[in-house]
Amino acid sequence: MKNPRPARRPHRAGRAVTAAVGVLSAVLVASGCTAGGATGAGGGEPQEGGDLTFLIDSLGDTWVPNNSSISSFQGHVWGHVTDKLVYVDAEGEVSPWVAESWEQNDDVTEFTLHLRDDVTFSDGSPLDAAAVVANLDIWARGDIEAGINPIGLFPKTYDRAEAVDATTVKVYFSAPTLGFIPTLGYHGSILLSPETLALPAEEQADLANDIGSGPFVVESWADGDQVVLTKREDYDWAPEALDHEGPAYLDSITYKVLAEPSLRTSAVQSNQAQVAYNPSPQELSFYEEQGFTVAAPRYLGFVNGFAVNTQVAPFDDVRVRQALQQGIDRDEILSTVYTDAWLPAESFIQSNVPGASDHADEFAFDPDAAAALLDEAGWVEGPDGVREKDGETLSLTLYPNPYLATSQAVDELVAQQLGAIGFDVDLQAYDVVTYTERIAIGSDAVPAYEITRSFIDAGTVAGILTDADNGEDWFNVGQGDERLNELRAGISTATSVDERDVVLDELQSHVLEQGYFVPLTQIVQRLYLQSPSLQGVSYNGVAYANYYTAWLDR
Amino acid sequence: MTVTDAVPDAVPDAGSGTAGPGTRRRGRLRSLRERTPATVLLAFAVVALVVAWSLLPGVFTHHDPAAGVPADMFQPPSAAHWFGTDHLGRDVYARVVHGTASSVTSALVAVAIGVLVGGLVGLLAGFLGGLVDTVLARFVDVLLAIPSFLLAVVVVSALGFDTVNAAIATGVSAVAVFARVMRSEVLTTRSAVFVEAAQLLGASRWQVLVQHVLPNASRSVLQLAVLQFGLSILVIAGLAFLGYGDPPPASDWGLLISIGKDYPLAPWLVYAPAAVTVATVLSVNRISRWLRTTD
Amino acid sequence: MTRAYAAYAARRLGQAVVVVLLAYVFTFLVISVLPGDPVTTTLRNPQNNFSEEEIARIVAYYGLDQPVWVQLWESLSRFVVGDLGLSLRSNLPVADLIGDVLGSTLRLATGALAVALVLAFAIAFGVRHLPGPLSRALRSFPSLFLSIPNFLIGLLLLQWFSFQLGLFLVVDAEGGWATFFAAVALGVPVSAQIAEVLIANLDHAARQEYANLARSRGLGGVRLFTLHLLKPSALPVVTVVALTVGELLGGSLITESIFGRNGVGSLVQRSVGTQDLPVIQAVVALAAVVFVVVNLVADLVYPLLDPRVRLGATGRATRRRTRPVQEVDA
Repeated sequence: MKNPRPARRPHRAGRAVTAAVGVLSAVLVASGCTAGGATGAGGGEPQEGGDLTFLIDSLGDTWVPNNSSISSFQGHVWGHVTDKLVYVDAEGEVSPWVAESWEQNDDVTEFTLHLRDDVTFSDGSPLDAAAVVANLDIWARGDIEAGINPIGLFPKTYDRAEAVDATTVKVYFSAPTLGFIPTLGYHGSILLSPETLALPAEEQADLANDIGSGPFVVESWADGDQVVLTKREDYDWAPEALDHEGPAYLDSITYKVLAEPSLRTSAVQSNQAQVAYNPSPQELSFYEEQGFTVAAPRYLGFVNGFAVNTQVAPFDDVRVRQALQQGIDRDEILSTVYTDAWLPAESFIQSNVPGASDHADEFAFDPDAAAALLDEAGWVEGPDGVREKDGETLSLTLYPNPYLATSQAVDELVAQQLGAIGFDVDLQAYDVVTYTERIAIGSDAVPAYEITRSFIDAGTVAGILTDADNGEDWFNVGQGDERLNELRAGISTATSVDERDVVLDELQSHVLEQGYFVPLTQIVQRLYLQSPSLQGVSYNGVAYANYYTAWLDR
Repeated sequence: MTVTDAVPDAVPDAGSGTAGPGTRRRGRLRSLRERTPATVLLAFAVVALVVAWSLLPGVFTHHDPAAGVPADMFQPPSAAHWFGTDHLGRDVYARVVHGTASSVTSALVAVAIGVLVGGLVGLLAGFLGGLVDTVLARFVDVLLAIPSFLLAVVVVSALGFDTVNAAIATGVSAVAVFARVMRSEVLTTRSAVFVEAAQLLGASRWQVLVQHVLPNASRSVLQLAVLQFGLSILVIAGLAFLGYGDPPPASDWGLLISIGKDYPLAPWLVYAPAAVTVATVLSVNRISRWLRTTD
Repeated sequence: MTRAYAAYAARRLGQAVVVVLLAYVFTFLVISVLPGDPVTTTLRNPQNNFSEEEIARIVAYYGLDQPVWVQLWESLSRFVVGDLGLSLRSNLPVADLIGDVLGSTLRLATGALAVALVLAFAIAFGVRHLPGPLSRALRSFPSLFLSIPNFLIGLLLLQWFSFQLGLFLVVDAEGGWATFFAAVALGVPVSAQIAEVLIANLDHAARQEYANLARSRGLGGVRLFTLHLLKPSALPVVTVVALTVGELLGGSLITESIFGRNGVGSLVQRSVGTQDLPVIQAVVALAAVVFVVVNLVADLVYPLLDPRVRLGATGRATRRRTRPVQEVDA
């Protein structure tokens, strides 16, 4: 069958292009001057009621509590639906919550927890010693054959727990575990009803089945879309540290997924929501000028920086490692990628961690000193500005950490700065899936691994220094550094915090002097842009916003 | 993108005329001399500029696309920075120009995969017929039944997220279109009078294929390939938008748009590369259309 | 005719089932090309601090330590009895996940199709009946629509109508206006495809004798358009619409992401990011079912509607002006 060909007139493609460009430039002007939101005055008396909308990038993957509780997304919901045994504030200070008090033996291997007697889960069942034992067991061991993972960060030295009476729990460890009590305030350690814990994974994955004792309960939820929480009227066991008793002020909190960061901030700006999670840091000053509030709480943990692989040439030379440390201009990173809310690194752990000390002088920016170190190590400048030695160029490949949104911008800047002192820096960015497959600490292909990790207790540091006791051996030194071995042992066997702090200070000096770690900035992994009407938000040790204490100024 | 395979066959006659190769060639030469519309010339000019950008980016800008001046970040378009600057103070025009090669190459890779794989499948199916045709037809049916953008997303997620893989994925999603156009062209030509005459005169199957079938089929495949080039740019940009493209510091157009959208306060970061993309695709589409009408 | 038609229908149905099954297997093979699975990936996040032994046990729970062909066989034998399995990402039943989001995407796709048809007919009408320069400008619209990345349209609509004018809230993505503008963003490129076919067929029809005749008998422009020009174009338009149904689903990936809608497209995005194979397989199979069913209905209805379509000796229908692949159905 044949079809006659239709006659076609030439299209005015050129005109269409001009028209399109015209439209685009009009938009350019229009969106540059979007009207701002209301500016509100702070302070005043808390008001009851109100509904909060929190725009979030994602609601993560599964809702099986153990498998999701440390997620940066689900953690927000868990923090309102569940309680913990202790509260850890932003300075790492531990205070009572469901556990009113606790004791430990001299070896730090046995703990006794005394619980409040008035706490109930939202289904009415009591949160008693038996419930706590069930939770401790599932955190430590999970129920892998039922699809419930253990909490990886829970002390591996856990032996068992027993309920002495309705409000007393005794916990036994196979070795000194100074970090046990702080760990109870970690975002993984959420208390759920024993009935929930007994469900198989596919039922725990339905958030509506997960019964906690928190100030809010799940009203409704849809996978990947939203979670609506409403307040629990009979809630009356908040941690003292929060300075608020009884039920929450807010009637409801809606966590709504909006994947685009710019749409989240625009929605807050146009008063469609009160909080945007993870806005782009570089836009924050603009919103602050318009009266919006920015919260950049730091978590307790390692700073953002590079763990250097000391087995990979040329970073087997301490002088080259030190040149890395001194060739990076942290102030420029802060002023270009971040805002005033960020702080420069003072050590390789965040300065709010109890026991962290200021070692900023030991790795301060000094391009001349860095160049001198490289000269001394035999790396001389070639014709194109890249240093060479024995025919090799001084090259470095960085792999931006996909878990930190700003990592790429920071690394691009670091590449420029190190380029100025003669490094040839390559950037290879991967998505999370590819990254976890290809990039591992200590791998030959990864001379510098970019760290972003939180912890609740400084004792965690012992686990990353060497390969002793299945340590992670971040710097790939094995057990070849005697001094490091000594310091590690000192930290892991310490039986008091004061004793440990002394060792911790020496350790920070040693790691930085050896150039094992190249700190960048203190890390803010959870960032919030808020409507000025939102008041009284509190942040815990892992930087989650807590809206139990919050209220809306209407 | 939603714009895909329906386009070529949406037009009733997509180059399936049965005139011999000789008449076609003459007709086209005449049309080249006599009636090339102004818009087509403009489209060729845009494409020429894009090609020049990709071959000699350094000639068109003296800014370094990778190194920025942090103090100059987020400057709106000006005489010094035609397309403004980005979040690290890099010149966006320079990044667009230097990103051209990668954008053009990946679209070419996508088209090449579509033409080669799809063309081969269509050729074998149409030429050999019988069981081969039936089996290949099911394969093409499967590819066709999966929405092409969904297919591209699935393939790129399996290969890993970067631009080359996005290009491969886009190419795979275009295989079905090329296969069926090629097949129908082969069938049409095979039954044409002059081919039957050649066979009667004792030409072998392969001689017929090389001398008659391929030259005739290449005509509509070329026109489709040009169209597909424009579509591929859009599909790859769409994949980049969803985060399945190359990561920074590469500067493909799709990636530039995708990064730019995170900074609504600096809208030129989106609109400059978007305008370049639209202009290029529009020009390519115009040329494809012109190729179709100048039979 | 009836026996031939029944044989034809049975064979087309059989082919449709085969295509859907093959699409399911194809997806499995594509995703299994590379090593790695969502479970291991999540567990290896350094924040998790799992030991290799723990990881191995967890992976075994999900059956991901089995050889690929065993996994494929298990997944396929579940699929044929209608069990879509559990999502690796969320631990929830795949059927529930898809059931929850299907409504949203259906509303979006229906709206987008309506927008596309209205736009396409408006353009086609304008091309025929507006004065020269306007008509020529309109003719370039389909080409322009096909050259704009569709996420750009979405971003612009959102910027203007939600953030500037406050016509709808992004936090209420399923609301009336929100759905309308999402449908516009998705429908515009589709309208271009329909408009191209319409215009081409109108041009063709307009040159036919009967149009001239009708015009000379004094029929008004609108009546001429609907009665004599539009009617012959209806079948090709139905063909194009049947073909774009799959594209609406593909395009929903981007549109739903921009407008914050929780539909099949955003489910795919979540699943692809985590290599959630059971969900991806199910969605691809669903898309194939939709595509195959729509085209099957079109194929089965054609011989009944259009007397020019005849079933050949082998019971083969040839759709008028149809896509070449139709002829592949040997």
